[in-house]
Amino acid sequence: MSPDERFLMRRGLTRRTWLLRAGLLAGSGLLAACAPAAPAAPTQAPAAAPTQPPAAKPTAAPTTAPAVAATTAPAAKPTTALAAAPTTAPATGGKKGGKITWALEQDPVHLIPYGAVPTANMWGKEFMYDSVIAWDRNLAIQPALATEWSAPDDHTYVFKLRQGVKFHDGSEVTAEDVKWGIEAQADPPAPGIKTQYPAKITTIDAVDKYTVRINMSGPDPSVIGYFAWQRYTPVTPRGIYDKINVLTQGIGTGPYKLVEFVPNDRVVYTRNPDFWNKDLPYLDEITLKVLPDEQARVAALRSAAIDGATFTADVAKTMANDRNLTVLKGLYAAHKEIQFVLKDPKNPWSNVKVRQAINHAINRQDIIDKVFGGDASYSSIIPPGYGDWPLPEADLKGNYLKYDVDKAKGLLQEAGFGSGFEMELQSINPPRYITQAAEVVSEHLKAVGIKANVVPLEIGTFAKNNADGSYPGAQLTARGMRGDPNGYVTEFHPKTPIFATWFEGGFLNEELTKTLDDALLTPDQAKRKALYTRAQQILLTEFPHIPLVQDMKYQVVRSRLKNMYVSYTDFNTGLRESWVEA
Amino acid sequence: MLLLVPTLLGMSVFIFLMLRLLPGDVVDLMTAGQEQATDESKRKLREAFGLADPLPLQYIKWLLGLLRGDPGKSLRSGQPISEALGQALPITLELTLLAVLLATTLAIPLGVLSASRRDSKADFGGRVAGLIGLSIPSFWLATLTLLFTSVVFSWVPPVSWVSPTTDPLGNLEQMLLPAAALAVQLMAIEMRMTRTTMLEVLGQDYVRTARAKGATEQLVTYRHALRNALIPVISVIGFQIGTLMGGSAIIEVIFGLNGIGATLIQAIFNRDYPMVQAAALFLATVFVVINTSVDLLYGYLDPRIKHA
Repeated sequence: MSPDERFLMRRGLTRRTWLLRAGLLAGSGLLAACAPAAPAAPTQAPAAAPTQPPAAKPTAAPTTAPAVAATTAPAAKPTTALAAAPTTAPATGGKKGGKITWALEQDPVHLIPYGAVPTANMWGKEFMYDSVIAWDRNLAIQPALATEWSAPDDHTYVFKLRQGVKFHDGSEVTAEDVKWGIEAQADPPAPGIKTQYPAKITTIDAVDKYTVRINMSGPDPSVIGYFAWQRYTPVTPRGIYDKINVLTQGIGTGPYKLVEFVPNDRVVYTRNPDFWNKDLPYLDEITLKVLPDEQARVAALRSAAIDGATFTADVAKTMANDRNLTVLKGLYAAHKEIQFVLKDPKNPWSNVKVRQAINHAINRQDIIDKVFGGDASYSSIIPPGYGDWPLPEADLKGNYLKYDVDKAKGLLQEAGFGSGFEMELQSINPPRYITQAAEVVSEHLKAVGIKANVVPLEIGTFAKNNADGSYPGAQLTARGMRGDPNGYVTEFHPKTPIFATWFEGGFLNEELTKTLDDALLTPDQAKRKALYTRAQQILLTEFPHIPLVQDMKYQVVRSRLKNMYVSYTDFNTGLRESWVEA
Repeated sequence: MLLLVPTLLGMSVFIFLMLRLLPGDVVDLMTAGQEQATDESKRKLREAFGLADPLPLQYIKWLLGLLRGDPGKSLRSGQPISEALGQALPITLELTLLAVLLATTLAIPLGVLSASRRDSKADFGGRVAGLIGLSIPSFWLATLTLLFTSVVFSWVPPVSWVSPTTDPLGNLEQMLLPAAALAVQLMAIEMRMTRTTMLEVLGQDYVRTARAKGATEQLVTYRHALRNALIPVISVIGFQIGTLMGGSAIIEVIFGLNGIGATLIQAIFNRDYPMVQAAALFLATVFVVINTSVDLLYGYLDPRIKHA
């Protein structure tokens, strides 16, 4: 898939490597808990919160979270911070009061509720909104504005809303508001654009004041993950576009109310005293300050002008010895991969053996050591940390992604390219580490006779090439968060728009297409898992794209800031539950 | 003076075309990584943004908008550009003027000192300092200053912008460091310029005459020499204001100030055409206007210079 927009939108001044936490997901977007010490069961969930896609067993069966969690997470990584502060384990008993300033490395640009593309938009708006359901820090699905949800049949979802919840403007949240919002997501006004909206949703009904029914043209278990992805599915008062200027203002139900947004400068939030979860929030005020320059963030953090920010691995490590600071790290959804365009059969890489050869010629451990300071994992098509959906790392290391130069040379020989060939390897720059990874890969390929010329490109140029498939070779890029495992494989399905640009006429695997279709018709998570395992096995044999590694995200906070963690989603969601100690 | 109009018009064409030569547009950026984005939805966005029109038409529409005083809306944020630049301008303006003020108040006395005690230790020190100031890139100095004050004093300028009208001291606390970082190079230029022209003037006949009639050294230096030596210095300062306004971009980014330069840089990365066009044209206009004014001022200061 194409480069994740967060890399594309990034302004050039910072490189980040990130990190973090191992969450796990399981279910259709329902990620079960895994991290050590993290309670898997919803703690605050009223009664019957099904953590499993309801469709699994119509009506009855809201299996509780632990059942899903049982699928566990091979990827569960130590989530502890360098400075030994656990990043998981939600703490309780925080203190009320206090103000913090958090630095953003990119401008949110705008705060529009629906159809926003930049991740930074979510950084700017996430504290004032809720969706009907939400991911917790382990990517397990928890109730938010809905207290329970169910699937009466395989193409209907019903959400029961929490009663008496007030928007920041004082009006009550009703099913009509939720319905209106979902309809707005289907066709968001500019500068919004429809991207992740589940195609099978047909109509929304406000059954009564507190019941919303989603009608669909067929089964799609990824819908639950979509609604947990508050980035796309915040609940707003109906008609919000007519009430305020949504570019710089917002009305939600979240723990913090927006005070002001000054583009390219700051976002200021104040406590919402009427938040539906009475335990939250702790802070009186959160200011998000845009500070694109990494060294400026370091200086501001050391001198307590800000309370936390995201940093690159190297820079974060230089702060590990400061007693006033705590370094957090964890996995996050942004694995790196090589993408080919396979439409022209004349290109060497249109031959599957050549792609297999390239895969086995790449020494991923070398990339991890040289580019990511030893702090990264092998990545399958679905990245590590995304529940137990990815193939196990041992399988990747020992088989699918094994570093084996002799095998690579043999495959090239069989393909008729024993004497090698020349190709272009484009990379996004900045961030620098993408290009550094491309240079390391280029060295590896040289060893089997392939001359891969690294071409670093500024984001706009890279994005254009990626979108129209106009690159003579391959691109090295990064992926991002998806609401459901299907999001990581969908580009290999002929019905997805980008398929025509990248693959049509040059790559098609009938078994894969059928497997992906089946997986979307299968509500049972265990069966779905088997299907996505099979899909990944096919993809890691055919290699239309070659996944490389998943690095860590680092955030450094003033030690007085408690209960913050690196979010797998790449947001700063932990601040919703953070507090400060005097 | 009449050259102003064709200069600006040419500039507008240049800015308009340069930007569109860059591969990729705002829609490519917005839909990058979105495997579900269809050609249809991209086409609709381009139409909504006016990017589907032929280039000459786009240019004419933009120019007509400008003549009506409406530079359009940002393609990324939807914010009216006049509003965005209106917020950014005071910051850049203050930064620039503060830098010029800092540079000038220090550079001219130092330049005079250096010249009037030619080849003394003070002169030598001043010249070395000037060379160093000229050679230090301002962005490097800015980063280093920030790290230095944060490590040594546990202090950096407050990160949230306050307007000088609501909180003059808070504003100064925030702007002093960036302005100083920006000022160093200008200071070096001004000091060396002052020294050079002072030396030249001090060798003139009328200075010798002044001394001969018994004027004190101070009077000679400040009344007779400095006044005449300042003319080229003033023109240099004038030109530098234009350069500084654009050149402050990196300082603005480092210090987290939302000025014109920082806005422009971000707009370029975002392929936010109307925003880049407006910001670039604005800076170009400022540059041209200042240069023209300096020319006029020059004639005023030295009546011997005639204007055609």
